[in-house]
Amino acid sequence: MSDDVTGGQPQSIRVVIVDDHQIFRTGLRAELGSQLAVVGEAATVDEATEVISRAVPDVVLLDVHLPGGEGGGGAEVLRRIAAQARSLPALASVRFLALSVSDAADDVVSVIRAGARGYLTKASSGAEVTAAVARVQGGDAVFSPRLAGFVLDAFGAGLGETAATDDELDRLSAREQEVMRMIARGYAYKDVAAELFLSVKTVETHVSNVLRKLQLSNRHELTAWALSRRLL
Amino acid sequence: MTATPMTRSGDDRVIAGVCAGLAAHVGLPVLPVRVAMAVFALLGGAGLLFYAWLWVLVPVAGDDQVAPMRRVLTRPALPAAAATAVSAPVSPLGVAKAEPAVAAQEFADARSARGAVPPAAAAPTQTSRGGTPAAPTSPLVGRAMRWPIAELLLGACLLVAGLGLVLVQLGVQIRLDVVLPAMAVLAGVGLTWWQIADRNRPDRALLPRVLGALALVAVGVLMFFVTARQPSALTVVGAAVAVLAGVALALAPWALRINRELIAERSARAREAERAEIAAHLHDSVLQTLAAIQQRSEPGSDIARLARGQERDLREWLFRTADGAAPLDQEALEAELRAHAAALEAAHPVRFEVVSVGARRAVPEAIAAAAREAMLNAAQHAGGEVTVYVETTPDSVSIDVTDRGAGLDPAQLPEGRMGVRESIVGRMQRAGGQARILPGPGGTGTAVRLTLPLSSQEPMDEERGRDE
Repeated sequence: MSDDVTGGQPQSIRVVIVDDHQIFRTGLRAELGSQLAVVGEAATVDEATEVISRAVPDVVLLDVHLPGGEGGGGAEVLRRIAAQARSLPALASVRFLALSVSDAADDVVSVIRAGARGYLTKASSGAEVTAAVARVQGGDAVFSPRLAGFVLDAFGAGLGETAATDDELDRLSAREQEVMRMIARGYAYKDVAAELFLSVKTVETHVSNVLRKLQLSNRHELTAWALSRRLL
Repeated sequence: MTATPMTRSGDDRVIAGVCAGLAAHVGLPVLPVRVAMAVFALLGGAGLLFYAWLWVLVPVAGDDQVAPMRRVLTRPALPAAAATAVSAPVSPLGVAKAEPAVAAQEFADARSARGAVPPAAAAPTQTSRGGTPAAPTSPLVGRAMRWPIAELLLGACLLVAGLGLVLVQLGVQIRLDVVLPAMAVLAGVGLTWWQIADRNRPDRALLPRVLGALALVAVGVLMFFVTARQPSALTVVGAAVAVLAGVALALAPWALRINRELIAERSARAREAERAEIAAHLHDSVLQTLAAIQQRSEPGSDIARLARGQERDLREWLFRTADGAAPLDQEALEAELRAHAAALEAAHPVRFEVVSVGARRAVPEAIAAAAREAMLNAAQHAGGEVTVYVETTPDSVSIDVTDRGAGLDPAQLPEGRMGVRESIVGRMQRAGGQARILPGPGGTGTAVRLTLPLSSQEPMDEERGRDE
């Protein structure tokens, strides 16, 4: 697809939009804030792999459902880029933010477990997407309220399961649960921090830890969804 | 040319509707097909075989969408039953004869249940005429005639019996050792065939019928074998073939049913695949467009609300029906709050996000009603983005409604605001829970937090099994 390198400010975040719908790509492009520079667009798995490995953007906005490739959608793009990163180390720093019209659990889990740093629904506003891209580029995770609710559910927080130690992968610590609850209530990170008397940095650390657990845990609910998508 | 599966015609039929079905399938007029079939039947019986083959294997039109209820409810009165019942005692041939009589009654029964038993022009026997007195006045005159096979068979039997008596009177030696087994075999075969012709009815005493048919065939064949004066290789082979044929005949209905179910299942699967394809297409096109519309329109504008409502409807339809799943009734509270959110979004410039966590179980109505009231408040006075967070644990349920509006100080509620004071706080206290009204995220807006302890006696929904 197009590969025009626009917006040459050195500090702007370079973004590739991967979505098979022209109307959505155009709309998103028009809505994104000025600190983002769209350096490429792709509509299929194969195009996405090519455009990303050529442009090496900071952040990829990735649709969960994509045609082409082996039918793996956004998760397949993530796996292909991860495979290429072994020979091309620059690709390892590319971060992915998943966008989807679907909020079905297995869709979300498939891209997160394949390596995406966050997840937003497509109905999110341009400002929300812009903020999320900046956060992902800075190395943080982006959780929508729905993803936070899903995480709480999948890790058994509703049943009162709490991790005994911080490095336990199959359950959330009490603090992580509190942070996830606030995010599920619609609080931004700084509001979560204020509410729980933490620093924003601590909140971000908790969220990143939860993301890591989401990606690495062998908990039954997660692996079942991942298995149904043939991710393991 | 698209391959439509062949069916036997239910309405346009002389014997079993095979010719009409065949004509429709190949796209020819019915008459030439019938003539050709008759010609082939006369030329060495090939037509007969073909006809029988199609009759057996091709399902009746509309077989997979029958309305058995209506057919049963509109069953007419049964004039044929009386006539056949009268004819039964006349039978001179004992057991082998009595069974077909009963069978014939049931058969006539089934026939008239389907609506029409018109007399056959070529049926000269007294039983068949007596058996169908009401038929000419039947309202279904538009239908083609059908042969009353049961009556014909009965008449033929009586005729044969009478003929035999006359022959005995005339001094002709009748070899009963041949006639009786032949009768038994004929009755057995007749029984199985009656079953085949009758296969569209719901099963009624299928097993005894089949066993009876089998026994009759076997007995007949054995009698042939036993009574043969000089057992030779030929009679043995003949008997073996006859037994096998009898068994095959008796088992045919099962094979037929399986065949028919296979056809029905295949068409059902085709329909399912088609539906999944439509769902996938809608998911890829319309849903994406609706998301784009929401993204590009003013938050809370009419267009955005319209698009969101449509998206919700479509999503509901896609994820509920596309995979044939049952409605999500285990998430009753969540579903209720979502429905309420949809109604509010249609009337106010507000967008709800409902997030639900924890075990799905029934919760008291009080907290649901208080949550609805809080959502209404948020829609009316705050608008914008509102989050509804539901968490159910084994011993409590909590619902938080968080908005980012102008905020609400519970200490300075005007007297008119009955909603908050009565419907939320009062209701929760009466139910044994509590309602707290706090400032929203970052000090803007309002967060209504409802909590209600649950007694452990309430039935726990074990829908989410956990293996750990």
